[in-house]
Amino acid sequence: MGNLTTQLGRLLTLALGGLFLAKGSSFAEDAGNLYNTNFDINAGLKYFERQCSRCHGFDAKGNDETGAPDLTSRLARASSEVGLFNIIRTGIPGTAMLPVAADLPDTQVWQLVAYIGSLSTDPANIDLPGSVASGASVFTNKGDCSSCHMVDGQGGRLGPDLSRVGERRSPEELLSDMLNPHTDVAPRWWTMRVTDMDGVVREGLRMNEDSFSLRIMDEELNLWSYPKNQIASFERVEASTMPSYTQTLSDSEIDDLVAYLFSLRKEN
Amino acid sequence: MNKFSLLLCGTFLTLPVQAQEEPFQTVITPAFSPVTWERLVNAESEPENWMMYSGTLDSQRYSRLDQINTDNVTELEMKWSYQIPVIDRAETVPTVVDGVMFITEAPSNLTAVDARTGRVYWRYDHELPEDLRICCGRNNRGVAILGETLFMSTLDAHLVAIDARTGNVLWDVEVADYEAGYSKTAAPLIVKDKVVTGIAGGEFGIRGFIDAYDPVTGELEWRTYAVPGPGEPGNDSWSGDSWKTGGAATWITGSYDPDLNLIYWGTGNPGPDWNGDVRLGDNLYSDSALALNGDTGEIAWHFQFTPHDVHDYDSIQVPILADIEYQGSTRKVMMWANRNAFFYTIDRETGEFLEGEAYATQTWAQGLDPNGRPIPTPGMAPTYEGILVSPPIVGATNWYSPAYSQQTGLFYVTSFDGEQEFFKRDEDYEEGERFTGGGGRYNQPMDAFHSSIRAINPATAEIEWEFPIMPRSSAGITTTAGGIVFTGSADGYFFALDAASGEELWHISLGARVHAAPMTYAIDGQQFVTIASGNVVYTFGLKED
Repeated sequence: MGNLTTQLGRLLTLALGGLFLAKGSSFAEDAGNLYNTNFDINAGLKYFERQCSRCHGFDAKGNDETGAPDLTSRLARASSEVGLFNIIRTGIPGTAMLPVAADLPDTQVWQLVAYIGSLSTDPANIDLPGSVASGASVFTNKGDCSSCHMVDGQGGRLGPDLSRVGERRSPEELLSDMLNPHTDVAPRWWTMRVTDMDGVVREGLRMNEDSFSLRIMDEELNLWSYPKNQIASFERVEASTMPSYTQTLSDSEIDDLVAYLFSLRKEN
Repeated sequence: MNKFSLLLCGTFLTLPVQAQEEPFQTVITPAFSPVTWERLVNAESEPENWMMYSGTLDSQRYSRLDQINTDNVTELEMKWSYQIPVIDRAETVPTVVDGVMFITEAPSNLTAVDARTGRVYWRYDHELPEDLRICCGRNNRGVAILGETLFMSTLDAHLVAIDARTGNVLWDVEVADYEAGYSKTAAPLIVKDKVVTGIAGGEFGIRGFIDAYDPVTGELEWRTYAVPGPGEPGNDSWSGDSWKTGGAATWITGSYDPDLNLIYWGTGNPGPDWNGDVRLGDNLYSDSALALNGDTGEIAWHFQFTPHDVHDYDSIQVPILADIEYQGSTRKVMMWANRNAFFYTIDRETGEFLEGEAYATQTWAQGLDPNGRPIPTPGMAPTYEGILVSPPIVGATNWYSPAYSQQTGLFYVTSFDGEQEFFKRDEDYEEGERFTGGGGRYNQPMDAFHSSIRAINPATAEIEWEFPIMPRSSAGITTTAGGIVFTGSADGYFFALDAASGEELWHISLGARVHAAPMTYAIDGQQFVTIASGNVVYTFGLKED
């Protein structure tokens, strides 16, 4: 219980830290979005829920079926607020991304831009308590993260490539990933246990599973592909193979790791 | 050797060896012949053609073709593919008439190809405004044909008549105002001398209807609203003026019984989808099956599957009509696996509920009462904070076609076991704007859920077998006298199951999601089966020696 309290406390501290340490808005300085107050973000949220959520999802995480992208991390088609504004205003020709109503005031489009912007964390607005340099050291040394994870082509293959993890995970999420790795494990990192017709059991990361076959990578990094109708059985383990770092790393080392991971972006 | 190479041989007198080896001479005859109403009524007896969206007026999607069967289906090979030149998902079910295939494409286009080779005769590109109001993608699912005219729905809520030989537009009528949120995606249905068609827009507070048009002039013959107006029976099932924005869109093709002269058509969710507070009452005829007089459109009976729906459980499924043995006698029934996760067998003469059971995971109802009315589970309505409910918004099934085999007597449906958090929001209606009153959110990755093909005995509503596939499939089903169930999957497979046992017989990876139903046809005695995957239409046939 004490452990949980500590974890919650850390998350709260980080969240509040993010709030209080946010640097002043840079939007006004570059004359970008002038409508980015909490009121505007909330107005954008309401518009989003009504007009956009059918395709992009109520949580804006996208939908493979409709092809609508996840809007909570880096946007592939818009690198700036103006770019996002233009897409919302004019749509994307030849796709299901239609323009907003022609008579929708620019103000409301900017509010929508502000809401979408609020879904991802702008690193310029965040000061984290940890040290990036120390975190990099923990990553490769004491934490031994690099034995499983790659960054910029260096490291192991048994976990997600983290070269740009800062673009898709907030500091709060990164912290949670390290403390509670079994929460919200992406299907790619589930484990599959396959028993073949001869009774041989083989286990590996679930690289892909479809209706008629599955592919895994075992601990020795061997790639296996099995037709489902040619194996005796298979079993999914919907948990992470990553350990929790609550016992092995100190609070400050975890802070450093969060700072390091959050710094991992394309521009860095 | 195909006909084209034979032609070349004849013309240039080359390749004498091949010409000598050809065991028989094929005479090329003109393709296509007019499709009369009599042909449509008797479509089952010319299984070499697929002359309407669901194959036959009873929508069984059961073909008498048996050249491809359980013994040789493993010998299937791809004969041709046709790449739709628009990158979007294809939901088309092609129509084939005497060797010509008509393929609808996103957003609202139509192509005629040689059904033997996939090579194009003509294309029709429908011009669309830029400010469409569509809820869920740019789709078109197929055409209807009568005489030499094709009838197609368009996203700007028009009905277009197109010459089957040339692709020329014969007429183009506005069915409803797209700026008010109306659109059209489904194939129309020919009923005698009329073109019967529905409307989409259930997420925009429209008032749903079913229309019948004169096939020659495009004039509206009758319109039956799926939401009754003041003074009409059922209007009092809507509080206040909520009927005006009541939805009940009719966005998938219905069926027809020539003997009873009844049209059967499903209706969609009441508007707004997830906030029922503003439309108290049963909200007739949302989420219902309507039986309409084939001449007048008058409602003969209705069966509401989900009264006062707050989960977007559209009854937008193709009604399947069959005469089955039920409790010792032959009964004219309609079978319906609903988005709300219940399967129903209903007397199609009267609308009487006969059988009903859940066929997929559901938590919103405690069951069905003796009249087939659901008994809602308390506390399952969407809230501002969100509440977890099965099935999710996309439903236990949806618009994609089920099938019924006359051989096995089983009903086949693509089903989904999932759950989703449902949210309620307060929204004011504004014409042309979305009017949904909430939405949904998955709490788990899609791979954590389950899809399967389920075979249901309509006499008992019991599941006879199921075949698991990855979630969440939106492929329709076709079954044949060859004892096969053909369907596809979300992960891009096209596959064949044994219709009696559900055993896997054959599969092929096509690489892109199957959003459409297969269909089958024959030319010169050779059976083909066609499926759209991604934006490509593939046609398969047995290997030739």
